[in-house]
Amino acid sequence: MTDVLIVGAGPAGLSAGIACAQHGLQVNILDEFTLPGGRLLGQLHEEPDGSWWNGMAEAKRLVEQAKNLGVHIDCGVSVYDVAKTETGWRVSTTRGIIEVPKLLLATGAAETTIPLPDWTLPGVMSIGAAQVMTNVQRVKVGNRGIVIGVNVLSLAIARELQLAGIHVDRIVLPARNLLTKDSGNPEKVMQSMLRLAHLAPSTFIRLGSKLIKSEAMLKLALSFLPSSGIRMWGIPIQVKVAALEIFGDKQVEGVKIVKVNTKGEPVLGTEKVIPADFVCIAGGLSPLVELAAVAGCPFAYLPELGGHIPLHNERMQTPVAGLYVAGNITGIESAKVAAAQGTVAGLSIADEFGKLPEKKLLQTAMKKVEVVREHAVIQFDPYIEKGRRTISSMYAQQNTGA
Amino acid sequence: MEPNQIVVCRCEEVTLQELQETANSYQCSSRELKLRTRAGMGYCGGRTCRNLIDMVVKEVTGIAPGDAVPLSYQPPVRPVTFDLLGGKK
Repeated sequence: MTDVLIVGAGPAGLSAGIACAQHGLQVNILDEFTLPGGRLLGQLHEEPDGSWWNGMAEAKRLVEQAKNLGVHIDCGVSVYDVAKTETGWRVSTTRGIIEVPKLLLATGAAETTIPLPDWTLPGVMSIGAAQVMTNVQRVKVGNRGIVIGVNVLSLAIARELQLAGIHVDRIVLPARNLLTKDSGNPEKVMQSMLRLAHLAPSTFIRLGSKLIKSEAMLKLALSFLPSSGIRMWGIPIQVKVAALEIFGDKQVEGVKIVKVNTKGEPVLGTEKVIPADFVCIAGGLSPLVELAAVAGCPFAYLPELGGHIPLHNERMQTPVAGLYVAGNITGIESAKVAAAQGTVAGLSIADEFGKLPEKKLLQTAMKKVEVVREHAVIQFDPYIEKGRRTISSMYAQQNTGA
Repeated sequence: MEPNQIVVCRCEEVTLQELQETANSYQCSSRELKLRTRAGMGYCGGRTCRNLIDMVVKEVTGIAPGDAVPLSYQPPVRPVTFDLLGGKK
């Protein structure tokens, strides 16, 4: 008899499963992908202190720990419906129906695309797809690629492609259109990039970023920035160049680019064609909330957390009895934050079953989420904490019926 | 290729131009835009374009999405076979 069903075997789901099993609960974790680990599987980057974050090794460690505690992990299974019953949840999966008292959704996030002319050609993929093919499936995505979209994810993954011996020609912005907005605006992109400057391998960039904290300095710096861009690990990051269109007959053959001014407006006559056999689109992430919606959970719209977020409290409970959330479904943050949230969810579920004699463990785990968040190397949005506070107060209001 | 011919909903092949013109003519919600154009009603269940449909509405009408999810989710939230849903062979 399963006590807890967890959807998603990423850092949040695995950590939650471990915490539940450590307190005597029977846990079943499902994942759509063929391997457990979620987004951890693709992650490989150097931390500012020079050590390497190897997501695959981290995933292996969590999976082993979970299995040793008797957690059942089933991969290649999709959940397509959840419904409330008198005693818990009726979960419809591609391997049949599961009845379970407590349900934890740790479904993570999905990538947002940036629509450009002919982005539907074969050879165009999301940056995350390129990461999975390279680091998990070990398939070479192409010989010469262009990344469209300058953000934390695209830089990290471009570096991973490079480490795998794949040539990334350059990273550029998408041309401005109704749907590209901020991602096509050099000023906005520079603002968010500066928050990542501490990751830059060059001392020059790190020092420079300290000097251009003010808006006026940023605009000035941007106006002097050459269109050839800044190099990181030898890859040109061109925030004053935009991709106008992707082209090719039966598959990608290249990208037409143009120089843009600091507002993202194209400079006429500077169009150029760059050959490429693959293109990665990096439009950012949004929480994957389908099952929370189907379960009847209320939401909050918080762009700083990535979009619509299921209401939840610091114990990772939703206002729906027996329904919990953890990881990127609650907002886009790093894998370390997701794992810390997973532990909280697991302990919170154990407590609900009356199997958490040491209440202090839960308090400590909740505190740890905040500490990990504070020390996160990669902050996806500067207003994460504000979003977190908003969702907590909305949850409190919901539950007092205010 | 004309920028307005950008495909937004791949399953139903709905273009940005069509979405923009429809949203403009009717000053409508995401749901109405979906029903008028079929964007988001294809095989994938709107998994790729749902956020883009909301964005078109926000840009054209000036109304940002509220706390309630604009395009409701319906099970099955993944493509599944009729057999799995209880169909008979």
